Amino acid sequence: MSISQPFSFNWKIAGAAGHGVMLASKLMAKMAKRHGLQSFNYLEYPSLIRGGHQTGQVYADFDNGSCQRRALDAIVIYTQESFEIHADEITDKTVIIYNSDFGKLKDEYLKKWGKQIHEMNLSTWAKAAAGTSLAANVVSLGVTAYLFGLDPKICKEVVADELKVEKLVEKNKVAFDLGYSEAEKQLKPLMKITAQKDERILLNGNEAIGLGALAAGLQFYSAYPMTPATGLLHFMNEHKHKLPVVVKQVDDEIGAINEAIGAAFAGVRAMTGTSGGGFALMVEALSFAGTAEIPLVILEAQRKGPASGVPTWTEQADLQFVLTAGHGDFPKVVLTPGTVEEHFKLAQQAVYLSEKYQLPVIILSDKYILESHQTMPKPAEAYQLERYSMVADKDLPADESYLRYKDTKNGISPRAIPGQEFGLQLTNSYEHNEWGFATEDETAITKAVDKRARKMKTILAELPQPELIGPEKADITFVSWGSTTNVMLEVVKLDTKNRVNAIHIPCIKPFPIEAFEKLAKSAKKLIMVEGNSNGQAEAWIKQQTSIKMDDHLRRYDGRPFYAEDLLEYVSQQK
Amino acid sequence: MKITKETIKSPIKPTWCPGCGNFNILRAMYAALEELALEHEDVVIVYGVGCAANEADFNRIYGLHSLHGREVPNAIGAKLANHDLKVIVVGGDGDLYGEGGNHFLFAARGNHNITMLVHNNWRYSLTTGQASPTTPQGTVTKTTPEGLIELPFNPLQIALTAHATFVAQGYAGNHKQLKEIIKKAIMHRGFSLVDIVQQCITFNKVQDSAWFKEHVAELGEHDSNDWQAAFDLASDDRKQIQSGIYYQDEAILAYHEQIDCLKAGSMVGQWQDSVDIGKVIEDYV
Repeated sequence: MSISQPFSFNWKIAGAAGHGVMLASKLMAKMAKRHGLQSFNYLEYPSLIRGGHQTGQVYADFDNGSCQRRALDAIVIYTQESFEIHADEITDKTVIIYNSDFGKLKDEYLKKWGKQIHEMNLSTWAKAAAGTSLAANVVSLGVTAYLFGLDPKICKEVVADELKVEKLVEKNKVAFDLGYSEAEKQLKPLMKITAQKDERILLNGNEAIGLGALAAGLQFYSAYPMTPATGLLHFMNEHKHKLPVVVKQVDDEIGAINEAIGAAFAGVRAMTGTSGGGFALMVEALSFAGTAEIPLVILEAQRKGPASGVPTWTEQADLQFVLTAGHGDFPKVVLTPGTVEEHFKLAQQAVYLSEKYQLPVIILSDKYILESHQTMPKPAEAYQLERYSMVADKDLPADESYLRYKDTKNGISPRAIPGQEFGLQLTNSYEHNEWGFATEDETAITKAVDKRARKMKTILAELPQPELIGPEKADITFVSWGSTTNVMLEVVKLDTKNRVNAIHIPCIKPFPIEAFEKLAKSAKKLIMVEGNSNGQAEAWIKQQTSIKMDDHLRRYDGRPFYAEDLLEYVSQQK
Repeated sequence: MKITKETIKSPIKPTWCPGCGNFNILRAMYAALEELALEHEDVVIVYGVGCAANEADFNRIYGLHSLHGREVPNAIGAKLANHDLKVIVVGGDGDLYGEGGNHFLFAARGNHNITMLVHNNWRYSLTTGQASPTTPQGTVTKTTPEGLIELPFNPLQIALTAHATFVAQGYAGNHKQLKEIIKKAIMHRGFSLVDIVQQCITFNKVQDSAWFKEHVAELGEHDSNDWQAAFDLASDDRKQIQSGIYYQDEAILAYHEQIDCLKAGSMVGQWQDSVDIGKVIEDYV
């Protein structure tokens, strides 16, 4: 990175559903990535198909762009209400591009921001260039590219790669060019970004989970559509022919998890995904997978609850529910990845752990990161795969003495699957003996429960450990899990005085007691930061460890935390 | 090893009431499996929860003893993972028409190649005799002391309207016919429903063995390709039940036959020791 070029930009587009806001925002994030910037694309949208208020915002940085930022360098506005909704993000330096095809601006806005507002007939230009006013979003990208000094050639390559269909690409390239040339007439560039080497990919949390699961040899995905897990179902359908993988939309979430269980029983690596409400329906089968020792991966994609809640907004309030989900005592793992890259890695890990330990592994994430695009280093393309805890044909005794639930030292019983001649077995939701037959015998019951419980001891050494982000010593140590960690990365980056660090928890059950206590004990002041109203992780940590937080910050209005707010909190501390 | 009536027996003896219709149905299934000369390891039975499903312990075969009502989606998943297996579902009327009713409809409309053997005794018997979806209106049980208000579920007509491609009425008391129906159901290309009426000697004193003997007769001449005729035939008023194959359509492809990636073989069979996600990554560069 040359010193003369700017460090970052922060851009937003605001309109209604149907204006192509989300597409424009994703294109912008990708254009930034192709210039070598690390970018983050955060989307806000209502639960409807037309109308309402919708935004996309891209924060891109040569250093690290791990979350959305508040103060905007530029904003493209379609709908006038945006001026009020986003007033706190508009500074006296923000360039405001208003699509004047959406009516005469209110005097109060002109009075307040007149010098910064550039009225442009984006829709009219789009119609002239591409034959449809719908291309106004791409016109606005042309304007933005000029404003940020982006390379139009690189930008148009992104348009071509994303829109794919030749006719559409050509029209939109013309739309982009028109926006760029009109901007040349009216605006001065804010910066000049010189493209650097780009070795990253851009994807959202759902796509990263999908990619990770496929890299781990996933062969079966069944789900019922529910925001914000639907993206994973779409991802699987988009790519299923390349791997291959069977992807199935099922009658309901009960069917979805039970089909995955059936597939896993028959021998493939299987996964299902849903949000809190759907997960509530899956809980019965979760307990089945636990006791029957079915390898199963489940994405629980949190959204703002409870009940139907606020479907397209974020929250971290399903934690306690997920931790305790399932009737009876059985082992399970709950992973809580932070960055998109970690979603990729932990999805791989989840598939591996579920097969090796024959148990359900839940990936607990949320709308914020599952639907936000973030750059990550391009991963390897080829992966060696191995089967775990399964019994080979040659190792099955011909005298038919194979035991599906053999009582072993580490709790793992090698698994035979249908089709293996000497592996006959009953996989059972009832408490069972070593063959798999149901049992009510007191000794056999205790033995079976203990055997399964032993797996949780064996697995500890393989689980992702809590991680310290930022300087080793700091005045304030934030504690976060899941998506909130993306904000922590930004906080630590912005804190030039080394006042803050953060502990990220990527696996919350079983809780990494020792490693967490070690990190927490060297902290001066521990502040729990999480997206729910009743401090669910804080309570869990208190229950699991000797650690008590000094304070907490909680957000439960459907919005993610902002680094700026956390730093403001830090600056208020003595 | 080929299944025989003896090799399929587990060391555990059935725990059903002496004289229960389940014995007859199990015997017919054993005979069908033996006559089809299937290998033990190529058959999977998925059981729900109830008296009938308790046979999970009596069979020496690959089995998945599922939850109440969930055996159908488990069976679909197993079939999609390995379509070289014959996948049979064993459950009761409460299990498959009540708790799992929705799954039944979707299995039928998807034409998943699984066989549903419904042990239909018109009662919840493992929970000691409450009304089930097939209990006749007006029946007095512990949970319907004033007589059942609801009208009974018609499994055959429901299966037909849900596009099932094999619909049959079995009767526990007709071993020879039931065995043949089960054989045809297992070998059917797509989804097959065999609703099997049976006596519950303990909790259904109204429709006892004598009642069934009197009210069930073998289906006479009938064209099982004729959907409308099958539908009309299935509209019995439960006073006279006709056993036999009501409907069969072999022309419709099973669900797994329409999945592109399964044309190269089963998912289990397609497992490889390495994977390349390069083509997926391309879209995110």
